[in-house]
Amino acid sequence: MRQRKLEIYSVEHHAATDIKKKEGRDGKKDNDLELKRNQQKEELKKELDLDDHKLSNKELETKYGTDIIRGLSSTRAAELLAQNGPNALTPPKQTPEIIKFLKQMVGGFSILLWVGAVLCWIAFGIQYVSNPSASLDSVYLGTVLAVVVILTGIFAYYQEAKSTNIMASFCKMIPQQAVVIRDSEKKVIPAEQLVVGDIVEIKGGDQIPADIRLLSAQGCKVDNSSLTGESEPQSRSSEFTHENPLETKNITFYSTTCLEGTATGMVINTGDRTIIGRIASLASGVGNEKTPIAIEIEHFVHIVAGVAVSVGILFFIIAVCMKYHVLDAIIFLIAIIVANVPEGLLATVTVALSLTAKRMAKKNCLVKNLEAVETLGSTSIICSDKTGTLTQNRMTVAHLWFDNQIFVADTSEDNLNQGFDQSSGTWTSLSKIIALCNRAEFKPGEESVPIMKRVVVGDASETALLKFSEVILGDVMEIRKRNHKVVEIPFNSTNKFQLSIHQTEDPNDKRFLLVMKGAPERILEKCSTIMINGKEQPLDKSMAQAFHTAYMELGGLGERVLGFCHFYLPADEFPETYSFDSESMNFPTSNLCFVGLLSMIDPPRSTVPDAVTKCRSAGIKVIMVTGDHPITAKAIAKSVGIISANSETVEDIAKRCNIAVEQVNKRDAKAAVVTGMELKDMSPEQLDELLANYPEIVFARTSPQQKLIIVEGCQRQDAVVAVTGDGVNDSPALKKADIGGAMGITGSDAAKNAADMILLDDNFSSIVTGVEEGRLIFDNLKKTIAYTLTKNIAELCPFLIYIILGLPLPIGTITLLFIDLGTDIIPSIALAYEKAESDIMNRKPRHKKKDRLVNQQLAVYSYLHIGLMQALGAFLVYFTVYAQQGFRPTSLFHLRIAWDSDHLNDLEDNYGQEWTSYQRQYLEWTGYTAFFVGIMVQQIADLIIRKTRKNSIFKQGLFRNKVIWVGIASQIIVALLLSYGLGSITALNFTMLKAQYWFVAVPHAILIWVYDEMRKLFIRLYPGSWWDKNMYY
Amino acid sequence: MRRQLRSRRAPAFPYGSRYRLDDQDEVNQNYLADEEEEAEEEAQMMMASNSEEEKEEEEEEEKEEEEGQGQPTGNAWWHKLQVINEYLWDPERRMSLARTGQSWRVMIRPFAHSLNFNFNVSEPDTWQHYVISLNGFLQGYNDSLQEEMNVDCPPGQYFIQDGDEDEDKKACQFKRSFLKNCSGLEDPTFGYSTGQPCILLKMNRIVGFRPELGDPVKVSCKVQRGDENDIRSINYYPESASFDLRYYPYYGKLTHVNYTSPLVAMHFTDVVKNQVVPVQCQLKGKGIINDVINDRFVGRIIFTLNIET
Repeated sequence: MRQRKLEIYSVEHHAATDIKKKEGRDGKKDNDLELKRNQQKEELKKELDLDDHKLSNKELETKYGTDIIRGLSSTRAAELLAQNGPNALTPPKQTPEIIKFLKQMVGGFSILLWVGAVLCWIAFGIQYVSNPSASLDSVYLGTVLAVVVILTGIFAYYQEAKSTNIMASFCKMIPQQAVVIRDSEKKVIPAEQLVVGDIVEIKGGDQIPADIRLLSAQGCKVDNSSLTGESEPQSRSSEFTHENPLETKNITFYSTTCLEGTATGMVINTGDRTIIGRIASLASGVGNEKTPIAIEIEHFVHIVAGVAVSVGILFFIIAVCMKYHVLDAIIFLIAIIVANVPEGLLATVTVALSLTAKRMAKKNCLVKNLEAVETLGSTSIICSDKTGTLTQNRMTVAHLWFDNQIFVADTSEDNLNQGFDQSSGTWTSLSKIIALCNRAEFKPGEESVPIMKRVVVGDASETALLKFSEVILGDVMEIRKRNHKVVEIPFNSTNKFQLSIHQTEDPNDKRFLLVMKGAPERILEKCSTIMINGKEQPLDKSMAQAFHTAYMELGGLGERVLGFCHFYLPADEFPETYSFDSESMNFPTSNLCFVGLLSMIDPPRSTVPDAVTKCRSAGIKVIMVTGDHPITAKAIAKSVGIISANSETVEDIAKRCNIAVEQVNKRDAKAAVVTGMELKDMSPEQLDELLANYPEIVFARTSPQQKLIIVEGCQRQDAVVAVTGDGVNDSPALKKADIGGAMGITGSDAAKNAADMILLDDNFSSIVTGVEEGRLIFDNLKKTIAYTLTKNIAELCPFLIYIILGLPLPIGTITLLFIDLGTDIIPSIALAYEKAESDIMNRKPRHKKKDRLVNQQLAVYSYLHIGLMQALGAFLVYFTVYAQQGFRPTSLFHLRIAWDSDHLNDLEDNYGQEWTSYQRQYLEWTGYTAFFVGIMVQQIADLIIRKTRKNSIFKQGLFRNKVIWVGIASQIIVALLLSYGLGSITALNFTMLKAQYWFVAVPHAILIWVYDEMRKLFIRLYPGSWWDKNMYY
Repeated sequence: MRRQLRSRRAPAFPYGSRYRLDDQDEVNQNYLADEEEEAEEEAQMMMASNSEEEKEEEEEEEKEEEEGQGQPTGNAWWHKLQVINEYLWDPERRMSLARTGQSWRVMIRPFAHSLNFNFNVSEPDTWQHYVISLNGFLQGYNDSLQEEMNVDCPPGQYFIQDGDEDEDKKACQFKRSFLKNCSGLEDPTFGYSTGQPCILLKMNRIVGFRPELGDPVKVSCKVQRGDENDIRSINYYPESASFDLRYYPYYGKLTHVNYTSPLVAMHFTDVVKNQVVPVQCQLKGKGIINDVINDRFVGRIIFTLNIET
C-alpha cells in the first residue's frame, strides 16, 4: 500500500515539472499544446489513482490502516497530518512582499530615474575628486531622484496592498468543522485537521470536508454544483455504481454540500489531492497574462523612455561635439531624461484605477487586481456560465397547461405577480394537487421572510412548487393540515411519480383524494379522463394529441415538465377507516383524472436580458458556456437574448425547411449550439472558424477543460475575453480569461481565487456597469496622459535651448520635479472623474492591438502642438523676468559660459549694471520660478482642454466635474507655497516671484484653450477628414 | 511708432553678448572698442539668430501689451510704453524696476579667473598677464580720452542730471593719472616686478543707485585671517581711498554712454613674501552692507596674495 502511495506522489511530481517546463517555453502555440497535454495527463491521473469506490470496506480498512468502527487513533492521525499536511487547498502562490515592493521600485520609469540618480552621484564623485569644493547640486538632484523613485514605489505598493487586503478580508471564511470518529469517540474537529483514513459523519446542510468514500448512507443527497456547475441533487449511497469515480454513488467530493440525509464515510483524499484540489491546481497552472492596460502602459513607457533616452543621447553627443565638458554633458543627459519622464504619471494612473475600482465596488463589482478595471472596458467577448450567473439558480414554475391552454407564470425574482387566469375549476383542482403532493417544507421560524427567500427543505422542483403554491394559495402548511395525509409514495426513478392520499378538508365529503405528480407521459398513461373547465371528460385521442403538443412545446423551451392528476376514491370502497399501504398499493393507480401540466425552469435573472442587449450594442459578443443540457441552454439563451429572437441555428433551419442538417448552408445560420461532445472532435482551427463565423454561440455540456479551450479559442481571435462563473469547474477558465468574474454569493472559493473580479450581487448586469466604467477610465487615462505629456516639451525645451543657444538655464531639474510631482498630480487625478463625452456603450470595444492608449496623434498633438505652445509661453515669462532685470532676450543668447562662471562677478547687463555670480544665480532661480509659474498657468488651460477630446468644453460643462477645480486650486496653492513659502530654501531653487509675473502666461493659456476648441470644432465639423484622423487622439 | 522704436533699439544694443563674454580678457583690453566693429558684429549675430529674434519680438510685443494694461490710459499711453520698453524704468521712483534696494557689490582688477594672485617676482611670465589685463582695463581711463569725452565735474557732490529719460547724459572724468603709482604710467608693471602689486577695486554699476546720503564710500583692506602684520602697508589711490560722489548716480549705459566707473587702487607695498596672505577689502560708509554670507561680493572682496621671490 505504501508503495502505491509513493507512485501517486511521483505522478504528481512529474506534473509539477511539466508545468515548469511549460512555462519555460516561448512559443504560445507550444504552450497551448503543452497545456492540453498536461490537461490530458491530469484527466488520466484522476482515473488512475482513484479506485477506492471499487474496494470493499475491508480492503479500505487495510489500505488506509484504519478501523471503520473505532476510527483512527489520535496519534496515527497526528502522524498522518504531519506527513500529508492539513486538509486545505494551498492558496495560490503569493509573491513575497519584498519582491512585490522591489518590483515597484524598478518598474516603469523607475529604472530610468535610478540610472539618472546614479549618474548624478558619479558625476559629483568625479567633480569632487578634481575639485573638492564642487557644488552639491548634482548630489541634491541624485538624492531627489532616488527619493522620488522610492516614494512612488512605496505609493504604488501601498495601493496594490490595499486592494489585495480587501480581497483577503473578503475571502476569510468561518473555519469549517467536521464530525470525526477517532479513538472510538465522536469528536468535532476543524476540517483542516482531517487525514486520510478518518471516519467522518455527514448530515444534511454540511459541506463535505474531504473526498469521502461512503460506508453507509441514509437518504443522502449531495449538490455537486461546485464541481459540475449543475445544482441538481444527486443521491449518494454506499454502493459502487459506476466505474468513473465522478459518477459512482459511493464517493462524495470535497467542497460539495450534503443537502439532506446522513452518511458515514472514510476520508480518501485530503487537501490538494482532492478532485477539487486538482482542478484548483489546474487553474493555478494557467499562466497569468498581462492585462491590456498593463500592455498599454508598457507601450507608453517604452514610447516616453525611448524619446527620453534618444533625445538625451542625441543632445549628449551634440553637447560633446560643442566641446562641453563630458561631465556637464552627463548632467544635461540626466536633466533631459528627468524632463521627459512624467515621474508622477504612473502613480496617477494607479490612483485613477483605484478610484474606478472603488466606484465599481460600489456597483457590486469588486476588482481584485487594479489593472483589471480597464480590462473589463476592452472586453470584446464575454463567456458566461449559465447556472447562477444568467439564471437565478433555483427552479421556478414557468408555465402551466390546463383547460387545453398554456398559461405563463411569473418567473421574476419576487414571483408575486401571478397574473394567469385562476377562475377555472381545473385550476382549483390543480392547485390542490400542487400543494398536497409535495414533501418540501419551509424551514420553521422564517414566517417574516419574503416567500421567495425562505429556506426550504426539499429538492429543487418541490421547492419551486411549494413556493409557487404558497404565493398563490397562501399558507400551504395549513392546507396540508386540513387535508390530512394518509399515505404517500415518494418519487423514485423507477416509478417516476409521486403519490399521496389525503382526507379532504370538506367535512361532508368522506372521500379520500388521491393526488399524483410525475413524468407527464407516465401520468397520462394512468389517466382515462381529463379535466376541462372543472369538468371531467374522457381522455380521447384529440385531447391526448393536445397534451403531447403542449408537452413538446414546454419541453422545447428547455423546461422540466411535470404532469398532475387526481382521483377521488369512492367512499364506499374506501371508507374512512380504510388502511392504506404504500408497499402493496392497495388503491387504484390507473384510470385517474388528468388535471394539467406544469413546467419549471431555472429562470433568467430579470436584469440579464437588458444587460445582454447593452453588451450587444457595446459590440461585445456574449457566449454562453454551460454544463447543462443543450435544449435548456438554448432556451435560456433565447430568453436572455444571447440567441436573438430572429436568429436560427443550423438545426432550426433544417427543421423549418424540412431538410437534412448537412444540406443547410452554414452561412445562413447566425446562432450555433455546440455541445461538449461536438467540441471534443473539433480541431482548434474548426473552433476558430466557429467562433469567428457565428455571432451567437451557446456551448452546452462542457467540461472545465473545454471551457478553458473555448476561452483560448476566443483569445486566438485577438479578443479580450471575460469569463463569468461560480463553480470550481469554472476556475481554470476564469484564470485563463483576460478577466474572470466570480459570483460573490454563490461562487466557490476556488472560483473567487481564480477570478480577477467578483460580482458581489451575482448579477450579470454588474458586468455591464463594469464595462462602462472600464471604458470610461480608458478614455480618462488618455486624457490624463495627454495632460501630463504636454508639459514635457515645456520642460525639455529649456535644456535643449540651454545646450544649443547658451541661454542661462531657464528651469532647474529639481524645479521640474515640483511640476511633475507637485502641481500636476491632483489635476491629472481629477481627470479620472471626468464624465463620458458620449455614450461609450454604443461603440465597439477597442481593438487590443490597434486602439492604443497612447497613439501617434496623442503624442504629436501633446508634444508638438500644445507642448510647444506651452514652451513658448513659459519662455515668454522667463524672458520677461530677465528683461525686467536688465537682460534683454537677445543678450541672453550664448551668455551661458559667462553666466555660469563663478569668477566673473561684474557681468554687465544691457543697462550697464554689473552682476556678481550670486546675483545672477538668484536671478536664475527667479527665472526657474517664473518658468515654473508659466508652465503651471498654462497647465491650467491644458487641464481644462483635456476634459474633452471631441466635444466643446462648454458642452461638457465647465463646472460639472468639481474635482477639476480642486485640481486647479491645488496647482495654484502649491505654486504659491513653493514661491512664497519655500522661496528661502536654497536647495529648492525657488524665489519669491513678483506678483505681475504670475499673469504673463495668461494670454498664452487662453490661446491654448482657443486653439484646442478650434481643433475640436474641426473634428466635429469634418469627421473622417485628414484633420479628424490626425488631430483626434 | 513701433518701427521707430525698434530702429532706435538696435544701436541701443551695442554690445553683442558673444563679444563681451567669450573673450573677457580682450574686452578688458579694448574696453571702449571701435563702435563700427561692434555694429558689424552685432549685425552678424542678428543674422545668425534671425529666427529667434523674430520669435522674441513677438513675445516682446505681447509682453508690451501685458504691461501696457497695467498703465494708466490716455494720451501718454504710447509714450509710457516707449519709456517702459526702452528703459524698464520707473520714473516716479526714479529706480530701475529690477534693482531696487540693493547694495554695492565690488570687483577687482586684474581679472584673473580666480581671486588668488600667485606670482614670482623674478619670473615675469607669472605676472605678465596681470599687467596686460590692467593695461587693457585702463585704456578707457587714458587721460586724453577722458578729457576728450567726459566733463570735469565738481568733486564732493552728486552729478545729478535732470531732464528727459532718453536724453544723453554727461559723464565725469576719471583719469588714469588719478591712480598715481598704480596708473601704470610711471611703473608699467604696476608694481608686479617689484613685488608690490597694484590691485584696482571698483563697485559694480547699479543704475540710479547712490551712496548713502552724501558720504563717499571708503575702501579699507586688511589681512582677512592670520597675522595682521603680514601686510605692513597699503597705499590707496586716489589717496582718499574713496569713490567720489560726483560719479553717481549712474544713468545706465543707454544714455550714460561714456560713464567711467571710478576706481580705488590698492598698492600693497609691503606684503610678506612666499606665503599666502588672505586679504579682505571692505567698503566702509553709512548704510553699507559688507557682511552678507551668500554673496561674497557684497560690500567686500576677499582675495589672496602669494608673492614669491
